[in-house]
Amino acid sequence: MQCKELESVLETQGLEQLSQDARLHLGTCGACQGLVADLDSIVAAAKSLPAEVEPPARIWISLRAQLEAEGLIKGPVEVSDRSSWWESVSAWLKPRTFAMATAAALVLAAAVYVTRLPHNSPSGVAKNQPAVERPRPAQPQVKASAPPPSTSPVNVPTKGPTPSKQKQLSPSPSESASFTLNQAELDVPNMQLAGNSQVDAALRQNLRTLNAFIAECEMHLKQNPQDELAREYLNTAYQQKADLLAAMMESGRGDN
Amino acid sequence: MCAASVIPGTTLGATRRIRSISGAATGQLARQRPAQPVALTEAEAIPLAQAGNAAAFEFLYQLHGRRVYALCLRMMGNPADAEDLMQEAFLQLFRKIGTFRGESAFSTWLHRMTVNVVLMRLRKKSLPTDSLEETLEPDAENSGPKRDVGAPDLRLSGAVDRVNLERSIEKLPPGYRTVFVLHDVQGYEHNEIADIMGCSVGNSKSQLHKARTRLRELLQEEIRQQARDERKAAKTPSGSLE
Repeated sequence: MQCKELESVLETQGLEQLSQDARLHLGTCGACQGLVADLDSIVAAAKSLPAEVEPPARIWISLRAQLEAEGLIKGPVEVSDRSSWWESVSAWLKPRTFAMATAAALVLAAAVYVTRLPHNSPSGVAKNQPAVERPRPAQPQVKASAPPPSTSPVNVPTKGPTPSKQKQLSPSPSESASFTLNQAELDVPNMQLAGNSQVDAALRQNLRTLNAFIAECEMHLKQNPQDELAREYLNTAYQQKADLLAAMMESGRGDN
Repeated sequence: MCAASVIPGTTLGATRRIRSISGAATGQLARQRPAQPVALTEAEAIPLAQAGNAAAFEFLYQLHGRRVYALCLRMMGNPADAEDLMQEAFLQLFRKIGTFRGESAFSTWLHRMTVNVVLMRLRKKSLPTDSLEETLEPDAENSGPKRDVGAPDLRLSGAVDRVNLERSIEKLPPGYRTVFVLHDVQGYEHNEIADIMGCSVGNSKSQLHKARTRLRELLQEEIRQQARDERKAAKTPSGSLE
C-alpha cells in the first residue's frame, strides 16, 4: 500500500477501522504514522469540547413571545385529552358538571351583554382619575377561538353624566359578572382531579394568568373608568374566564 | 431510572411520575445525551406541542436547547449570532412541528433545521475563501486539504489544546466545520449526519476526513506561528519598548 492509498482508506473508512494492509503500511511509513497520530490527537481534543452549552434565558423568553405573537401557542383546552366523544358526552350529563356549565354559560351571556352596553354607567369607584397608562398586557393563553382584544380607538368620549355625579345603588353589570365568575370559581377547588395532569396543570396556570389580568384591568378601570379599551379588555377576559371555567368543569377538574 | 425533581418553570410535571428521558428520546443519537430529570418524554411532548401546548414547547426547548446552542456557537464563533440563529431554528421548528411525522428522529429533524439556518446565514455572510458548494462536494479534487505525502510533519501530539482547536475550527469552511462539530464534538453518527445534511454517508465520511486533515494543517500553522512569536519575543531585549 502507498501513502495515497492509505489516505483514501482513512477517508472512506475512518481512523477506527483500518485494514491489515493499512496497518502494515503504517508500521513502515513515518509520515503516515504522524498523520494518524495527529488525527487521533485532534479527535481526542474534539471530544473534550463541551457538546452542550447552556443558552441564555433570554432566548426562550424572546422565543415564547414570538410564538405567542404568531398564535402558535394555543390554550391547553385545545390539547387532546385522549377521551372519546361519548366520554365527553357522559361527562356533560353529570349533574354537577351540567349545572356548573350552565352557570358558566349564563356568565358568558352576561359578559357579552356587558360588552354591548354603552359605558356611560360608572364603575362607582372612580373618585380620582390619575393619568395612568392603560394596561395592555399580553393575552392570556386560553382558547384559540377566544376573540382577540379589539384595537379600537382610545379614549372614546362617553355621553351622559360623569361617574362622579352618579350614585352607586347597585353593582354594575361588570361587577356582577365578576361576582358570578368568582362564585363559579369557588366551586372549582372541590372538583376531583382526574385524567391528564398536564392539561389540568395548564388549565390552572391559565386561570391564574387570567385572574391576574382581570385584576390588573379592574384596578386600571377603578382609576380610569372611562377607558373604553381597558373595559373591552376586561370584558374579553371575563368571557375567556367563563370559557375556561366551563372547560375545567367539563373535564371534571379544577384549581387548587 | 427515576429522579427526584421536576423541571423548574414547567407546569407539566406537577402530578406525574418523574422519570428520566435518557434513552427514550432518540436512541443512539448522541454521545452526551442529556440525562436531566423530566416530567414527560419527548414522544409525549411532541403531540402536545403540535396542539399548541406552551409547556410542551418549553419542554422540547429545554431538552434540545443546549445542544443546538452549542452547535450554533461553534459554527458562528460568537454568542450574538449563536443566540439569533438558535431562536430562528427553534422558531422554524415550532412553526413546522405540525408536519413532523416521526420518520426521522426529532433531534435529527431539529439539527437539520439548525444546520440549514446556520449555513444560510454563513452563505449570506459570503465567506471569501471557500464556497459551500465546493466544500460539500466530495469528488472535487481541489476541495480536499492539501497534503504533501512523505513530507516531514510537525507532530501535534500534546500540542492540541482546546483554545487552539476552537480557533482552528472557526477557520474551517462551513461544510467541513458542520460535519466535524456534529461528529467529533457532538457525537453524531455518519448516517445521522447524512440525514441532517442531506448527503450520503460516504460524503459525510469524506467531509470528516478532509475536515480533520485541514484542521491538522491549521493547527500546525498555529504552532509554527506561536514558535515564531516566541523567537521574536526572545530576541527582543528585555525592558525595551517597541
